[in-house]
Amino acid sequence: MKARKSRVILAALFAGACSLPEIGCVSVPDDGKQPALATHVDDWRDEVIYQVLVDRFANGDVNNDYKVRPGYLARFQGGDWQGLIDHLGYIKELGVTTLWISPVVKNVETDADVDSYHGYWAQDLTQTNPHFGDLAELRKLTAAAHDKQLKVVLDIVTNHMGQVFYYDMNLNGNPDINIGGSGPLPGAGSQSTITRITEFDPDWDPRGVQAFTSLGNAGRAPIIFIQDPSINRVPPNGILGTAAAYHGFGRVLNYDDEKQRTLGDFPGGLKDIATEVPEVRLQLIDNYTRWAELADLDGFRIDTVKHVEYDFWKQFATSVRQRLAPQGKNKFLMFGEAFDGNDKLLGSYTQDGMLDSVFYFSQHFQVFHDIFANAHDETQQKGTEQIQKLWADRAVNYNTQPQPGGTGIPASKSLVNFMDNHDVARFLFDAAGDKPALRNALVLLMTEEGIPCVYYGTEQDFAGGNDPSNREVLWNTGFPTAGDTFRHLSKLARLRAKYPALRRGDTNVVYSTPNVHAEEDAGIIAYERTGGDAADQYALVVINTNGRHMSTTAAGAKAMKVGRPGVTLVDVLDPEQKTYAVPATGELRLPVPQQQAMILVPQDQRKP
Amino acid sequence: MSLSSRGSAASVLAAAMTLLALPSSAFAQEQPVAPAPPPTVVVVPATAAPAPAVGDASRADAPVTSDTSGPSVPGATSPGLSRGNEPTRVVTEKPTDHQGTFEFGSYGRVYAASDLRGGTGRGTNVVAFGPRIVDEGSYAELELRREDNWSERVKGRVVATLALFPPFFHFSGKTDQAIGVRNLYAQGTYDKLTMWAGSRMYRGDDIYLLNWWPLDNQNTVGGGIGAPLYKSEEAAGRTQYETVLQLHAGQQRLDNPYQLQQVPVVAPFGFGTVDVTKLDRPRTIETVKLTQFVRPGGGAAGFKAILYGELHQLSAGTFNDPLTKSDRGLPEDSGWMLGSQLTYFTGKRDTYASLVLRHARGIAAYDPLAVPITFALDRTTSGASETQIALSGNYEQEQFSILWAAYVRFFRDGSSSATSTQKYDEGAAVVRPSVFFGDYFGLSLEGSYQQRRLAMLQPGTNDQLNASVTKLGVIPYFSPSGRGSYKRPQIRLLYVASFRDSGTRALYPVEDVFARRLTEHFLGLGAEWWFNSSSYP
Repeated sequence: MKARKSRVILAALFAGACSLPEIGCVSVPDDGKQPALATHVDDWRDEVIYQVLVDRFANGDVNNDYKVRPGYLARFQGGDWQGLIDHLGYIKELGVTTLWISPVVKNVETDADVDSYHGYWAQDLTQTNPHFGDLAELRKLTAAAHDKQLKVVLDIVTNHMGQVFYYDMNLNGNPDINIGGSGPLPGAGSQSTITRITEFDPDWDPRGVQAFTSLGNAGRAPIIFIQDPSINRVPPNGILGTAAAYHGFGRVLNYDDEKQRTLGDFPGGLKDIATEVPEVRLQLIDNYTRWAELADLDGFRIDTVKHVEYDFWKQFATSVRQRLAPQGKNKFLMFGEAFDGNDKLLGSYTQDGMLDSVFYFSQHFQVFHDIFANAHDETQQKGTEQIQKLWADRAVNYNTQPQPGGTGIPASKSLVNFMDNHDVARFLFDAAGDKPALRNALVLLMTEEGIPCVYYGTEQDFAGGNDPSNREVLWNTGFPTAGDTFRHLSKLARLRAKYPALRRGDTNVVYSTPNVHAEEDAGIIAYERTGGDAADQYALVVINTNGRHMSTTAAGAKAMKVGRPGVTLVDVLDPEQKTYAVPATGELRLPVPQQQAMILVPQDQRKP
Repeated sequence: MSLSSRGSAASVLAAAMTLLALPSSAFAQEQPVAPAPPPTVVVVPATAAPAPAVGDASRADAPVTSDTSGPSVPGATSPGLSRGNEPTRVVTEKPTDHQGTFEFGSYGRVYAASDLRGGTGRGTNVVAFGPRIVDEGSYAELELRREDNWSERVKGRVVATLALFPPFFHFSGKTDQAIGVRNLYAQGTYDKLTMWAGSRMYRGDDIYLLNWWPLDNQNTVGGGIGAPLYKSEEAAGRTQYETVLQLHAGQQRLDNPYQLQQVPVVAPFGFGTVDVTKLDRPRTIETVKLTQFVRPGGGAAGFKAILYGELHQLSAGTFNDPLTKSDRGLPEDSGWMLGSQLTYFTGKRDTYASLVLRHARGIAAYDPLAVPITFALDRTTSGASETQIALSGNYEQEQFSILWAAYVRFFRDGSSSATSTQKYDEGAAVVRPSVFFGDYFGLSLEGSYQQRRLAMLQPGTNDQLNASVTKLGVIPYFSPSGRGSYKRPQIRLLYVASFRDSGTRALYPVEDVFARRLTEHFLGLGAEWWFNSSSYP
């Protein structure tokens, strides 16, 4: 009775006070609440993905700067989702249309004196990483992005968790790192072999990681979950907090061995999940689909797909689509990362029922690295016929049919193209700071068939080497938008948005060459984008990848022959918008200065 | 009574034994064997105003100081007097010519309680100023005070209050009792003007049921001055007016990296390191309080109205980040608070009703004994605010009383995030009716409701995180000093049931049983007292 009276008094006080304008009642903003799911994408080929490492993009809230160490790139720097929200205008001005954000789930904080700023050391798949914000802030980010016609793709990992347990190989209950033996010592009789055994990250053992004593092997080493709440190294929830959810074979040593690749721990002690266990699969599917539902996400970028058995991807991708579609979320893009130059292997993850697309790693190696980054080194640069050969295999190695319930675009036409990302050195590092090479490569990236993906900082000429040097802090630049590369990329994005042929047209390579030296056509690649879903829209892209001299789309009697005879083409990339009349033969001999490019469209299709 | 001015431990002990009239041999086995140096100064206490032995003992302690270069004996003016090798001198104290007393006062409460599940009783509040029942815990203050009336116009007071924080020895088995100095100041009154300086808890009226000083509650080292600006002449049947103005300025520098940081550096001489103060930014607080008393018809009943304001300043500083070993600037910060209070009192049996309003901005929104944990992008508290409305009262008759209180508080931190644990509304309402049985016994019931609404989502739901607790309690007690809501000491039994909703449970980590328990019991036995304390007039 008295409690009831108290409630009435309190309610009256609240009501009276809330009516005062200075005060107002506290609430979670509407865009922080459960969003109505919707399909925000028409055709994923219309999108330009911008990859953001959240910790490195912008710091919008100093209150989640827990244990940040500015300047030390292996440590947290302080970026968060609020920072992204605050700089969506910058992203919009760049012309990209989709954000790929690094993982959002709670991680083991630190491991071997390196922090989980990247988000790939999952500990709890159901909670947000407090370094980046809470669920309401994640929702605010997707809502704010959608308001600006930007989409959001989330990075997820199903292959492994963070280092949440160790193998108790010596059965002593402690996670040990033992160094044994002394090696051959001069002047002494010692000849013992030096061995190093870490119970956090032991080597692959086909029997499963073994325990041992001084008397020999002692069977499988027990998996012991670590209880260290100070760094959030505690057992995960549900079945992922049990040994049954992990393979326990130790770290992969040979990536070409499929058994090791799919059952072994990922280097760094990241424990390989037994994704074939039905209960584990269901938990992974549920945990990750829930994020799409909670925050109205538009897709998943999926980490380390080649380390998980194929069957998993069929069930995962199909289940996600089937669960989201009835809620109004269609064309949910799922693309995988298989860090491998083997084009067939990449394509194998796009077969029926599996992923919509994958990162085009083979292109990263064979085109952006071998051809564009080596523009100044004729001893290393490869001819552009390598591009033509690689692209020709798209229809062979990748699925040419859309996934049922997927994006509606076959993988062969929607590969995720990229020059670099957080796992490889930046393009400018490989190209020894050659900015013309970077801008030339961007032309290919933004005009080729598929979905372009730009790594944050590319627009600011970041040139970091391998991880973590390639994970620079963007806000230190002050977010300038007047730099040459920023304006170049922005212009390419506008052209791609303006001309459907550049987005949806089929590809027809009209000129390539093996030449990389002093030849007339050294470094030339030219391709038409037309037909397909672009109908009669047409674009011709001509790039001179050569970093040493002007080249021409012809060599002796051989000349580029295009499919628009008698048409006048205008170079929309050229500030002067020069025109070129295509003769009735269709042969077009275009001189292109070193590391320059043309984007030619029919004059009657030119848009203001 | 004699004492060496540079007493060794043995000589000090000898002096103490003299004071206690114990033979020195009684401690011979336990003391250092070094002979005490010959006494050099004899203090002859005045006989005109006999002082208690305790006073002599404290005086005997005076020379024991680490500073051997300065005068340490009453009447001594030359450092040479304390060298220990001069001829004996006699210093005669002036006879006192005034009235002075030593006073002892105390406030305290001590509880033992069970949760009826085999554990100890535990607090269940989710708001900052929830009902004190159950949550208040044990605590005590011991006040030693010297009061002097030097003349009709001049008075003096020296106050030392030690606070004892739980757990106490009989509970924890540990002797390292946590003790805080809550008062250590001197006050003087000249005519109507009162001045004080020192370390002091300096505060106004509290709301007993919430254990809270809703308007002014300063805990600083500083000083103040106050005087009645106006006081009407007393006459039968005539309305009485009195206006009092109080000013105060004080500072704090909490031992926290927010305000203080000491770092080791290479010692300038020799080896090793010495500490230097890297960050030193005290918070300075100025307060002004204008109090108006009105007693219509000169009766016992009346009104008390208060206008109160605070200014807070925190200087800029440099903090050395221990993770990166690099310096980081911390900006200056400031804040202000304005508040008011209106109280009606009957003058009979502690019956009153009171309303307090206050609004604070910037760093003044934070209790000076607390450190902000969230900040604006510029790492200041700009944008933070606190607004509160508090009501309280007591109605008391011969056979019963009703104590009641309620408040709402709106707290917003300065962070850029729309969702934060530091953005919330909260409030509580509590009522405690009591029935008196005879002059010394009584039974109180207490019912309360409290809620905190945070700008957060409740984990696992799509709802805003609202935490609320309803409490019902019964308190039979024995009050040796008589009947009344405010009569103490009170020796009491206490049973309280706290009903906790899902939002409340969500505030606790899953490993804590409070994340699961819907109802929490508290069955306790305890006592509360207060008497003769200058802090609780």
